[in-house]
Amino acid sequence: MFASRNVRLCTKDCICLFVCPTGATDTESGQIDASKCLDGCRLCVDACPGGAIYLVPKNYPKPQPKHEDVVQTLFALAESKVKTRQLANALGDDHRLARKALDFSLEVLAEDCVREGGYMLPQSAAVKEFLNGLKERYREDPAFPIEAVERLRDLL
Amino acid sequence: MGTLNHGELTVMCTNLQKACEKQLRSEEAALFGRLATYFSEKTEKPGRQATLQEIGLIIDEEIATLYPEANEQADKAQDRGAKRALLWGEKVTRLHKSFLTRLERNPKLLDETPVWVCESCGFLFVGAAPPAVCPICKVPNIKIHKMEVK
Repeated sequence: MFASRNVRLCTKDCICLFVCPTGATDTESGQIDASKCLDGCRLCVDACPGGAIYLVPKNYPKPQPKHEDVVQTLFALAESKVKTRQLANALGDDHRLARKALDFSLEVLAEDCVREGGYMLPQSAAVKEFLNGLKERYREDPAFPIEAVERLRDLL
Repeated sequence: MGTLNHGELTVMCTNLQKACEKQLRSEEAALFGRLATYFSEKTEKPGRQATLQEIGLIIDEEIATLYPEANEQADKAQDRGAKRALLWGEKVTRLHKSFLTRLERNPKLLDETPVWVCESCGFLFVGAAPPAVCPICKVPNIKIHKMEVK
């Protein structure tokens, strides 16, 4: 787990600079240097008066099992949101702004359905299976960025 | 999985892109972004101009059938995450319906008044300035964005 700073909460008290044993927070970018940050050290997290520093876990707990019927109904909704999004994007040019607002809003709604449908954590087994499925389905298509899928498999 | 269409695959990938951003995994986020672009470009387009009314009809169907069914299953499974998504999603969907009705009545609605969308829950708002916190998900309004077109 390495530390990260929420710059919106940081009140520049710079206690993190004082407590950090490695100088990881001594950066000009406003962020903490993850390569210097000690795994799980959390001295800066506890010392920060603004509550602006938090730890990002490397390993998350296993996702709770999702009930088949919940997943199915959430994906039915996602499908409907995607269909609505396609129609919203096909509205006439007199509705350009409405098109944009509906597109953005429907994207968030559809994403939330698949997120709660078992795809919250990129590190989960469900996502690995998803990536493998993509590789299988699109291996004939030379335009498919297969190297992106392979790199993701290595990283996650 | 094999049955997901390109529009659905796009949101699968943008969802995972955002999840990676939240974990500060920028390389992974960019890779999911590339996949999302690929699927988005392949997404089937209706090939004709859509109407506000036909979008309204799909929303009516969601409120009449899809939301009650999903809510029933989420209740039965005591799935708090799914219930949260459905509660927010249904509220936003009702706002979409009222937005479409207002646009039908007044196609020039957005000529005079800005429109805003919350990136956390999709809350859509027509007004001069967004509320201080999102009325649906309660996020501060730094996450509520003004929609603009060139």
